Amino acid sequence: MSKKDEGEFNIFNHELVPKHILLSKEEAREVLDRYKIMPYQLPKIKESDPVARALNAKHGDILKILREGGPAGAAVYYRYVIKER
Amino acid sequence: MSAAGVFEEATKAIKKIKFSILSPQEIRKYSVVEIREADTYDEDGAPIASGLMDERLGTLEPRTRCKTCGNTAARCPGHYGHIELATPVIHVGFIKYIHELLNVFCRECGRILLPPDKIEAYVAKIENAKRETGTDPVHVYEAVKHEARKSNRCPHCMKKPMFVEFSKPTNFFEHTEEGPKPLDPSSIRARLELIHEEDLKLLGYDPSSFRPEWMILQVLPVPPVSARPSIMLESGIRSEDDLTHKLVDIIRINRRLDEYASEGGAPPLIFHELSDLLQYHVTTYLDNETSGIPPARHRSGRALRTLSQRLKGKEGRFRSNLSGKRVDFSARTVISPDPNLAINEVGVPLDIAMRLTYPEVVTEWNLEEMRKLVTNGPSTYPGALYVIRPDGKRIRLEFVADRSKIAETLLPLFIVERHLKDGDVVIFNRQPSLHRMSMMAHRVKVLPYKTFRLHLCVCPPYNADFDGDEMNLHVPQTEEAVTEALVLMQVQDQILSPRYGGPLIGAIRDFITGAYLLTRKSTYLKKSEVCSLLASIGYSGPLPEPAVTKPEPLWSGKDIFSLLLPKELDYVMKSNICQNCPECDEEDCKNDAYVVVKNGRLLMGVIDRNAVGAEKSESILHRVVKEYGSEAAKDFLNALCRMVNTYIAIEGFSYSLDELDISEEVREKIAARAREAKKRIDELTEQFRKGTLTRLPGQSLEDSFEIYAMNELAKARDDAAKLADKYFGMDNRGSMMTRSGARGSSLNIGQMTACVGQQSVRGKRIIRGYKDRALTHFKPGDPSPEARGFVYSSYRDGLSPSEFFFHAMGGREGLVDTAVRTQQSGYMQRRLINALQDIRVEYDGTVRMATGEVTQFSYGEDSVDPAKSDHGKAVNIERLIERIKLTHGKGKPAGEKYVESKVESVKSELTPLLVEELRKNLLKAKLNKAGVDYAVETTVNSYKKAKIEPGESSGIIAAQSIGEPGTQMTLRTFHFAGVKERNVTLGLPRIIELVDARRVPSTPIMNIYLKKELRKNREKAVEIARDIVYTTVNNVASSVYIDHVKAAVVVKLSRTSLEERGLTAKDVKEALKLLGCAVKSEGDMTILVKPATVEELPKLLDKVSFYHIKGIHGIRRALVTFDKGEWTIQTDGSNLAKILKVPGVDTTRTTTNNIHEIAATLGIEAARNALINEIKSVLDEQGLDVDVRHVMLVADTMTLEGEIMQIGRHGISGEKASVLAKAAFEITVPTLIQASVRGYEDTLSGVTENVICGQMIPVGTGTIDLYMMPANKGSNQA
Repeated sequence: MSKKDEGEFNIFNHELVPKHILLSKEEAREVLDRYKIMPYQLPKIKESDPVARALNAKHGDILKILREGGPAGAAVYYRYVIKER
Repeated sequence: MSAAGVFEEATKAIKKIKFSILSPQEIRKYSVVEIREADTYDEDGAPIASGLMDERLGTLEPRTRCKTCGNTAARCPGHYGHIELATPVIHVGFIKYIHELLNVFCRECGRILLPPDKIEAYVAKIENAKRETGTDPVHVYEAVKHEARKSNRCPHCMKKPMFVEFSKPTNFFEHTEEGPKPLDPSSIRARLELIHEEDLKLLGYDPSSFRPEWMILQVLPVPPVSARPSIMLESGIRSEDDLTHKLVDIIRINRRLDEYASEGGAPPLIFHELSDLLQYHVTTYLDNETSGIPPARHRSGRALRTLSQRLKGKEGRFRSNLSGKRVDFSARTVISPDPNLAINEVGVPLDIAMRLTYPEVVTEWNLEEMRKLVTNGPSTYPGALYVIRPDGKRIRLEFVADRSKIAETLLPLFIVERHLKDGDVVIFNRQPSLHRMSMMAHRVKVLPYKTFRLHLCVCPPYNADFDGDEMNLHVPQTEEAVTEALVLMQVQDQILSPRYGGPLIGAIRDFITGAYLLTRKSTYLKKSEVCSLLASIGYSGPLPEPAVTKPEPLWSGKDIFSLLLPKELDYVMKSNICQNCPECDEEDCKNDAYVVVKNGRLLMGVIDRNAVGAEKSESILHRVVKEYGSEAAKDFLNALCRMVNTYIAIEGFSYSLDELDISEEVREKIAARAREAKKRIDELTEQFRKGTLTRLPGQSLEDSFEIYAMNELAKARDDAAKLADKYFGMDNRGSMMTRSGARGSSLNIGQMTACVGQQSVRGKRIIRGYKDRALTHFKPGDPSPEARGFVYSSYRDGLSPSEFFFHAMGGREGLVDTAVRTQQSGYMQRRLINALQDIRVEYDGTVRMATGEVTQFSYGEDSVDPAKSDHGKAVNIERLIERIKLTHGKGKPAGEKYVESKVESVKSELTPLLVEELRKNLLKAKLNKAGVDYAVETTVNSYKKAKIEPGESSGIIAAQSIGEPGTQMTLRTFHFAGVKERNVTLGLPRIIELVDARRVPSTPIMNIYLKKELRKNREKAVEIARDIVYTTVNNVASSVYIDHVKAAVVVKLSRTSLEERGLTAKDVKEALKLLGCAVKSEGDMTILVKPATVEELPKLLDKVSFYHIKGIHGIRRALVTFDKGEWTIQTDGSNLAKILKVPGVDTTRTTTNNIHEIAATLGIEAARNALINEIKSVLDEQGLDVDVRHVMLVADTMTLEGEIMQIGRHGISGEKASVLAKAAFEITVPTLIQASVRGYEDTLSGVTENVICGQMIPVGTGTIDLYMMPANKGSNQA
């Protein structure tokens, strides 16, 4: 994460926004294989979502989300990037 | 036939259901008779052949055989007939689709109005979307429709399409060049016939099972008589079903049309009139609530209940007969309490035990017993009602003359349907069944009299009391069902609530009082008393050592209570009577509120609600369940209740009227406090009249006064209650009950003895009634406490007439509130359940919907079942280590390195949070090596045990956990904390708003934090707050008006308003210049705006008044508050995107309560987090304990699609794949019709669908299925 730069608004600095990582094709494949699912069975995120735009994620990508502060302390979530309907 | 000799009907499981519409050919094929006669029966009462009651349609009369299938009424399914319509009729249900098709297809060539290349592109797009999303791409169909409608020339035949207009209820007009021309059903049908099959796919229709022209009826199916049975009234007159009536009308008109046709055609006018009438009858037959036509009525004026109405709504087929079914082997009666039962028992009246049966299979070992039962027969207890022989023959013992003969023939494998007996497993239920604890498995105890008896500890889960409540009882009929009930549903296994992971079942009311009395310091028992107590729990063993030996042996209550506790239990806690002293004296507590249990002995402290009460976490009871298991907890509770019950009977306990008396002295103090309050109110009134009262921000002066007054009076009442409460010591029975947590609160005692306090209606003092006053006993506008509903009297002293009236007003509001609340929360729960019911935990640990979409990758992030958690925590490590400290003795402490490496070795098996906690606690505890090993091992094992099981219906549990407490939430929409000026929607309305995913919350609010360097700077904060408030000219002007002489809009500025907003007249002038008109100052407080022409003046007035000077749109007010060491801004109104751009605002913490704004500016994940925070904070504020995991599941489900979806028909429930589930939820008929034209298939993968089909549901124990791989041919064949 970029260093705290309070002057500019950086979406990832907001405490509500967890860390998002854009997965490579191989990593994405691995996720789908691990759960034995089709991409559309993943939770989704829109291309137009501010976070997806910040990462320049496009339709077909998978974002890995590192959620913190939940009951487990840290957890991983995935979202499949979709086009706006 | 199975081994047990049970005859099983050949049944087939339904795998999927395809929806389509019937073609005329199919309707004729299924028909057994063409119905021509409008009459039903002739004079002799015999059905008329070819009439609506034709015997070929099936039979309902007992002992007659069906003319078609030869079966009797019980076996005959009924058979359809048909009516040949003389002229085509439009089916109302399909109107939408007919209209769509008429405008999208060419009227000449029947092709879609799109060029071939576009068609190809769309076909590809549809294919693609289906493959990529696995769902029907409805949005593409919409796009196709839109584009085709715009076309003004058919690309295939070059003819010009004409717009077809639809007008209610069933008329179509074509807009030709000569003007609109009506289209009759025949010509519509002709056009629909032209439509090309492959083009239909572009709009989502399924050509394999659907032809457009079938939407115009030529043949009408006539349902069999079993679908519309006639009823015999007492007078012997037959009354026909609504559908039969409607069919009679249809046939009558149809006959007349037919007759004209055979005579060589009717005059066009008459023909039209008749076909319109036929259309009307068919329309109302299908749907009697079609808008645009009057509903068909019965002679009595009641609207007929026709086909659509039969399916729709709560009383419709779906919700009333398919989603909920009637069952046999059930009973219902009034309940009453019985503390002598065990918590998992239910007392069943003998009469009921003799009607309900269990089919017991006869074996060699129970043969004699069964013979005895059979001999006893149905009317001697214990007996039996039926014997089923292995060949399937059922013998009703009631009709057997010599039952001992039958008993002799009894052999193994016979089945005896015997009376219920003690120990049988039954399911006990009380409606509303809001959570799973509303249905629990109990053991039967057959008892005399007519009521069900239950132990008082199970009142909280059922939410039962004994003021006339009734409950239901169901008897499982197979070994499997009994086993499942025993494993999953027994009362003791439900002690811990899945809502918060603490005990829901525990001591209540007198049990708590009794426990308090028994365990308080002053209780010493004589030997005889000790013996009765021990006898009550069936204690065997030596008497404990007496605490006092002389002059006679006496035992302390604490020692006797200790006999109930598990031998090794250690626990320290604070009891309910704890006064929350600023500094806790712990062991030296003068109230005896510090509870210490060591080695299973209660050393100090009293046992009350906090130790053994229901709905209390972190109690002794909680520790017993967690550490010794549910059986031990059941025994503990049983013994506790018995003992304490015996004790309270020995000691005696009643609350008498003189215990509400207070001394003259205290009485005077209370009166003085009331006078003081009155004086304060007078002062406030004075200030209010003079106008010197400080106005609260955002409130009018009047409202501010009311708020001050209410706060003042509330304080007065509390003080009065406190005075009274202080007067009563722990020897007062009322105080005993309230302080031990058995019943009531100090507020109740205060109201009884000191002062009832302010009565309110709609959260305000009572003002309404007469003009400017509530009652004629007061002067208009009297603001005194007594004139606005303050009740000085106590209940004990009695209320004055006007006080009594105010009290009734407040009381009435309370009743109305409860009624409204139950309705609202009931509907919210229905929606939650519907949206989440298919969610279950899979074997790979993921949480998925019916169709396999993942909602969570591991349940609640740590896979811990809240019901198995320790009040939300996976493992209570602190407690574990404390225990190990005692058991594992001393020894050389293991080194830090050892601890680190040990913890590191199990890192992959635990959650990050647990690892951290384990490390921290171990390093602090300094255990020896064995202790560390044991701690680590136990943590891992406990974590594994706490994990959720595959198949768990986590969705339903989450829905119940949020829905059930809904009834306990307040309806009070607004809330001001103290004198705080912010009104925030809270409680049930706020939760509903959140799950509804409303665009804008009813009270949007922001919390704005400032950057580090500004946090301590009040001036800067105020400046920012001023700058963001949306300000228009209106806000700073005392008046804005048109001056016709000067031909200008005059703005008179108000100096105070300007100052308040931090503006000057110049700022306003500068801003107004942007309007593009001449702006001129006149004096320092007046501005003239001159338009180019006089005509523009009125328009300009509005423009000027609402002209934006500064601030951010949506921010209505901004308040600066000092909170946790920094200055923050709280606003009324919200606009996150713009606020984040304001310089000085901390962009890392600033939030809003508008979830949609968060989704738009910070993304869906942030919205999900915000949603969790919002729901959780409302629940916390209401004091409701709900595990976060439930809230997380709801939030994850709502954000699954990348946008916030509502819980309800427009969101999650609307997106469901299952047709049946959708139809059963809300929009029944349109859903079914859409499914039939699109040819949808329901794969029965969810819960409701399978309930509807009467099959096993795919969650919980129903998850398990047997998959068989067919053996390869030739290999491994036995």
